[in-house]
Amino acid sequence: MGQNASVPSLLLIEDDDAIRTALELSLTRQGHRVATAATGEDGLKLLREQRPDLIVLDVMLPGIDGFEVCRRIRRTDQLPIILLTARSDDIDVVVGLESGADDYVVKPVQGRVLDARIRAVLRRGERESNDSASFGSLVIDRSAMTVTKNGEDLQLTPTELRLLLELSRRPGQALSRQQLLRLVWEHDYLGDSRLVDACVQRLRAKVEDVPSSPTLIRTVRGVGYRLDSPQ
Amino acid sequence: MTKPQDKLRGWAAARRAILSGLRFTSLRLRLVVVFGLVALTAAVSASGIAYWLNREAVLTRTQDAVLRDFQQEMQNRAGTLPAHPTQDELQHTAGQMAASSQRFSVLLVAEDASGRTVVGNSGALDTFSLADVPESLRTAVGREQSITSSNKYPYHLYWQRIIDGDEPYLVAGTKVIGGGPAGYMLKSLEPEEKDLNSLAWSLGIATGLALIGSALLAQAAATTVLKPVHRLGIAARRLGEGKLDTRLRVSGTDELADLARTFNHTAEALETRVADMSARDEASRRFVADMSHELRTPLTAITAVTEILEEELDAETGSIDPMIEPAVKLVVSETRRLNSLVENLMEVTRFDAGTARLVLDYVDIADQITACIDARAWLDAVELDAERGIMSRLDPRRLDVILANLIGNALKHGGSPVRVSVRVSDADAADADLLIEVQDHGPGIPEDVLPHVFDRFYKASASRPRSEGSGLGLSIALENAHIHGGEITAANSPKGGAVFTLRLPRDASALTETPAEPNGANANGEGA
Repeated sequence: MGQNASVPSLLLIEDDDAIRTALELSLTRQGHRVATAATGEDGLKLLREQRPDLIVLDVMLPGIDGFEVCRRIRRTDQLPIILLTARSDDIDVVVGLESGADDYVVKPVQGRVLDARIRAVLRRGERESNDSASFGSLVIDRSAMTVTKNGEDLQLTPTELRLLLELSRRPGQALSRQQLLRLVWEHDYLGDSRLVDACVQRLRAKVEDVPSSPTLIRTVRGVGYRLDSPQ
Repeated sequence: MTKPQDKLRGWAAARRAILSGLRFTSLRLRLVVVFGLVALTAAVSASGIAYWLNREAVLTRTQDAVLRDFQQEMQNRAGTLPAHPTQDELQHTAGQMAASSQRFSVLLVAEDASGRTVVGNSGALDTFSLADVPESLRTAVGREQSITSSNKYPYHLYWQRIIDGDEPYLVAGTKVIGGGPAGYMLKSLEPEEKDLNSLAWSLGIATGLALIGSALLAQAAATTVLKPVHRLGIAARRLGEGKLDTRLRVSGTDELADLARTFNHTAEALETRVADMSARDEASRRFVADMSHELRTPLTAITAVTEILEEELDAETGSIDPMIEPAVKLVVSETRRLNSLVENLMEVTRFDAGTARLVLDYVDIADQITACIDARAWLDAVELDAERGIMSRLDPRRLDVILANLIGNALKHGGSPVRVSVRVSDADAADADLLIEVQDHGPGIPEDVLPHVFDRFYKASASRPRSEGSGLGLSIALENAHIHGGEITAANSPKGGAVFTLRLPRDASALTETPAEPNGANANGEGA
């Protein structure tokens, strides 16, 4: 993805000058290469030119808003997106997660928290072992970090891929949302369970034959989710 | 053709009508009674007067005609008799007199030549004898009047009405002037009595009809009065229920229409006032919400930069001038405080605006509390008495806010060790509650402060130094408990120290509009 694997490159899209400058300062200090854009349009242009590893995206933008930017990126790209929401109002979070964001941070954001989230998201793409597993027509290749369904490559974001990997490592075993938040998102005990639900829904849309009646990723009421081989 | 169910329905409708009528029994009844009394008084007095006048008129006319006839006959027939007539002559004359148009019986009394009293009657009513003539009348007839300027005749005609058996009669008598026989007549008044009786009956029936009519009128009047009153009652009730747009239809110009108009004016004024107040309230709330939103933007920039300063402080490389180090420290700590204040303010405005939502998850309570204490480095100061495995469906972030505020408050004011214990109110019941007690070992809360501990920005005493708390902590904790359908109570333990008890339902999902669980259709709960 990035030109230099050791220094992740980020694209920060934020309209407020002060916040943009401060976050750029802070993130650069944490060891990231940061490109900035003040509007969604500029951000999308920069994205095509620079191919960053990750996008930090403000929700409240003049012109096309953060959700729309997120949707447009997701049409072609699977790179991780972290939303900066000025409000922790629930509707914002839900819309953001539905439009394809991997994680979100509520303003006023602490640089260290944002950095931790960025690193956690970037770690999801790292390969770990060299085996593969298959669930029906779904084949997960852990060495190539690819997932195929009926021989076709599936385009998964790093978060979706990591979620599938964590579930596939314990087939038939139900994992709670809190467990998945720790394993995939590396959140502490206060992680937002809606992250898991939104990601499961996106993943189902990609891997299930009929997303509305899943046979692979099943909901276990009162517990969480589990991955089954279809009978 | 009436089907049975139609009849039934009609009966039920009638019963409903009666029942609805009964609601206003007193006023309706009073109106009917008053109308009835008025009608009765009017009808009875009118009929009474009419009857009495009629009776007098009828009787007088009949009587006058009869008496005139009788007098005429006496002059014409009895006056021509000799001074001492025989029985036969008397009988004959009486017969002739009775044959007049008025059909009365005649009795003639005279003295014959031998000085015997002879009596002749008309024979038609052969029962008519002197015994039928009242003694007083006979005396009056026989008495000779002294002749004066105002009285030209020595004998007068006298009459009297008598009842013989059940029949009314007119009896009259006079004496032929100049020593003639005394004549009496008897006339039955039965036809007149019959006429008057039927008149009385008619008047009675008319009175009855008037009573019925007045009752119906009273009903109608009551209905026209009570219907608007009923409507007014309903409208007032609706207004009381908070439906401030309630208005009455005003028709007519009477007092009830005035009342309805007044009601409408009042409701309108009330609506305007309430709208005004809620608009002002809403405006001030929005101001606080907007304000905290606006504060957030610069605060985000400041926070990000402050961290850089903080790292410089921690670096111990002496990169910061020792002269300005306290200033930097102050900026760092106060920024953090400002952050939490704005965070709390935002939280409060969300509760006030009703936009706060629950994000539910199944959590192990003991794990959550441990994590909460651990994250704030309170492990040494808090004793936790909780079994693992108590699962609850709640919002973990909000539970953390409650616990952090309760335990933080206990540590601040009560001093360690703080004891946190978890119980389930009734383990077997499906709607069991979760009880979390936070007890400190401080001096407890003064009785006068106890009702205010959850108030916003309430400080127990002015002399107490301002702590780093925003003054919103316990209020936010309470709001978070409420949004779960739970409660927090504050009390003093008999053993000393304050006890805050948090009560939460074990499953708060009933309060949320079933959050769209991804694929709830496929809920196969087998094998956890």
